[in-house]
Amino acid sequence: MRAEEREARFEKLIEEHKKILYKICHSYCREPDARDDLAQEILFQLWRSFGGFDGRVKFSTWMYRVGLNVAISFYRRERVRLHHVTAGDQRLLESIPDAERSDEDVHTLYQWIEKMDPLNKALIILYLDGHSYSEISEVLGIRETNVATKISRLKQTLRDEARTKHGTR
Amino acid sequence: MELDEWKEKWAEYDRKLDESLRLNRRLMRESYTARARWALRRLAAMLALGSILTLAVIVWLGRFIAVNWPAARFTVPAILLDAAAIATLAALNAQIGMALNIDYNQPVTAIQKRLEMLRRFRVRYVQVICLLMTLTWTPIFIVAMKAVLDVDVNRTFPIGWLIANAAFGLAVLVVALWLARRYGARFRNTAFGERLVRDLGGYNLNAASAVLATIAEFEKE
Repeated sequence: MRAEEREARFEKLIEEHKKILYKICHSYCREPDARDDLAQEILFQLWRSFGGFDGRVKFSTWMYRVGLNVAISFYRRERVRLHHVTAGDQRLLESIPDAERSDEDVHTLYQWIEKMDPLNKALIILYLDGHSYSEISEVLGIRETNVATKISRLKQTLRDEARTKHGTR
Repeated sequence: MELDEWKEKWAEYDRKLDESLRLNRRLMRESYTARARWALRRLAAMLALGSILTLAVIVWLGRFIAVNWPAARFTVPAILLDAAAIATLAALNAQIGMALNIDYNQPVTAIQKRLEMLRRFRVRYVQVICLLMTLTWTPIFIVAMKAVLDVDVNRTFPIGWLIANAAFGLAVLVVALWLARRYGARFRNTAFGERLVRDLGGYNLNAASAVLATIAEFEKE
């Protein structure tokens, strides 16, 4: 495949799956600048790994795998800043109007996700996005039964939190 | 609200994003192409500079050893320095090689483990380099004086003076370690100096080990 064709295919796939990029960045970063920085870093790593994408797994699964790996290591890394592309007030990803702000429930959900450790965050995003236990296990590199156990624990935690909240009112 | 109800809300949110989300194509193209160029240039510059300088030192020391053979008072410190330089070059290239070979298209737990191991390797490398810099002060002095001024340090300077120098190097190291351990926890930024202090004080090593323990826990059922 020629370089231009490869680039065009990459951009088309990213355009189709931009929601994944948006959701990962919103789950792992609170500040808009940091989100943009993370989005750029994910795009760079996706482009770097794109040659190895052979279509054996769904593009969304592949994109999640690369994106979550980058997001988890983003703040852990003692990072040397790569070139940050900015264009005034423009952002790489923009939701008009900001979708999670317009929905109180989604905002609350993001706040709940924010409290989790990076690995459980990855697990819950994949679950909420409707991935099967088998797909989640493939992305995270843990066994399917482990995925099921963790999801069940998260459900229980959520129930307990709701009970405590209502109990203290 | 139950997790499955949240899932429905999330699906609804997903549909809203379909309509509202815009990707700035120009910024996207600029970001991944500019980054790719920058990262490759930076890596190439690092490799070239680090490797050329260290190689030059290795070759120069080799020549020094050949010229001064078999005078052990010159060749022994030069061989020590040469071995240290070769090990430094190998470790530097191993780190860059490991970093380049990380393929993010691997399961999250596997990649995160590799990244933390690489981080531990880098911290150990920094610690060893700092240790070498202080411990090799006397051999560097012996070799440099002979090569530059043709002065035989062993004959010109009293042995006590050389021992005092080595002791001073060790003292500097001990004080630096103490300071790093005492104040390293205060630093959180990624600036080179602050990172170095945290590396020396062992804070970054502990952090990497803690992440590895978290991953191991996550992998357990």
